[in-house]
Amino acid sequence: METFLGGSPVRPVPAVRPTWDLPVLMGTDTEPEPDEATVATDLVRRIAAGDAAAEGALVQRYSRGILYLLRRQGVSPELAEDLHQETFRIVLERLRRKALDDPAGLIGFLRGTARNLAIAEHRKTARRRTDADPDGLEQAVHPAPGQLQTVLLDEEANIVRRLIGELPTDRDQQLLMRFYVAEEEKETICSDLGLDSLHFNRVLFRARQRFKELLEQFQARQGPAPRISRDAPESRA
Amino acid sequence: MNHAEIEEQQIVDRYVRGTLPAEEVARFEEHFLSCPDCLDRLDLAESMSRGFKRAAGQDAVRVAVVRQLAVVAWLARLGRSRQAAVLVMALLVAVLLPWGLAERRLADRDRELATTRSTLEHERSAAGSRGTAEAERLRTELEASRRDLAHEREQLAQSRKPQGNVPILFLNAERGGGGEPTVRLHLPSTPGWIVLALEIEPPHRPSYRVTLRDAGGKEVWSGGGLHPDERDSLSLTLPSSLLAPGDYTLAAEGAGRFAFRVLPAG
Repeated sequence: METFLGGSPVRPVPAVRPTWDLPVLMGTDTEPEPDEATVATDLVRRIAAGDAAAEGALVQRYSRGILYLLRRQGVSPELAEDLHQETFRIVLERLRRKALDDPAGLIGFLRGTARNLAIAEHRKTARRRTDADPDGLEQAVHPAPGQLQTVLLDEEANIVRRLIGELPTDRDQQLLMRFYVAEEEKETICSDLGLDSLHFNRVLFRARQRFKELLEQFQARQGPAPRISRDAPESRA
Repeated sequence: MNHAEIEEQQIVDRYVRGTLPAEEVARFEEHFLSCPDCLDRLDLAESMSRGFKRAAGQDAVRVAVVRQLAVVAWLARLGRSRQAAVLVMALLVAVLLPWGLAERRLADRDRELATTRSTLEHERSAAGSRGTAEAERLRTELEASRRDLAHEREQLAQSRKPQGNVPILFLNAERGGGGEPTVRLHLPSTPGWIVLALEIEPPHRPSYRVTLRDAGGKEVWSGGGLHPDERDSLSLTLPSSLLAPGDYTLAAEGAGRFAFRVLPAG
């Protein structure tokens, strides 16, 4: 990833590299952490005061979320990294010039900047698409997943089959298939299968936990490997 | 937004599916930007969703392939003559099925056509009986009109003939008013003319307008352009059919009121 030099003559924007961690289940909020508004206010104040470490802390704290958000907006992985850089450039330059009126609104500012950049990129792409290029269309290739991605996708499917096979009842199998494949609402499934909300949540929680275990085992066998990009065709289904 | 709420309301899964309302999307995005736990949950949810869909898709394809292979294997196990028989049966089905369907459609059309014909016949006969009754009614009305016309013609011819014994009423203007009319007239036994002579006092107008009313005040006839003659009278001829037994008043503008009583034919 290319490191961007910001418009400021004083300091460059810190380099940002997304990290690829294994998925883990949600924490239980046991460790007392400072409130998000407090953290944001502190970062904004320090960046406005010229604290370079605070800039690094800001990037470190929000980098992964911004990257995920950009990919969620339908931006390709390569472009997402560029827009990710651009987001932090814009935000840091603004904070260096003048602190936000409401420093607690830092996260909203970051989110808004990233979304606007993604939207602008979509508009730019849409404008380019108005120029017809029959030759280009004929030569266009469907973005099929590469070999490695196919292996990973197949492994996800195998893990699901194993998970389904391990479920104690047909009802739990139905629950998961209807929730993940048919994408039915929780209320509908509970009503049809005669389940209460607690049981539904418990089945889903155990399934996620088991899926995570099996995925970790697979990844441990494979060694560090890139994750499946959100742009893989299956993820668009 | 806290993790208990996210867990309870399946916020992560609904976000991944794109079914979360816009306000909740904004709240959740502002939450997960700085929450590694939720980002992990999002990655896991996407991975599971992909896995379930891919597994379901692959299994569906596999089932279809297995069915096709089972048919091929069954065919392969058969002897040549049986394979030929199956082939002929398949060809027959391929030919006979569309033919059968076409036959069925034709039969349906025939039934529809017969129903339509029967309905049309029924409507035609109903329309015929209605037409006869209507013609009878019109014929009766025409007869009545003809009779009325003949009667009118007869009356008209009668009126054109010279007529004797024409009743003439000499009327004087009422003085004071009230009281019963002193001038009386018997209606003629056959319809004819009645002459009313109204004596008026000078000075005279160039012309007068008169109105005839019955005892109830209802206007029977009204007309103008009456000129006084050399005997200071206004004359008026009425068909006797205009009058029925009863009291009448003739008002001549500027000349007074003239009353008379009509009695039945005597």
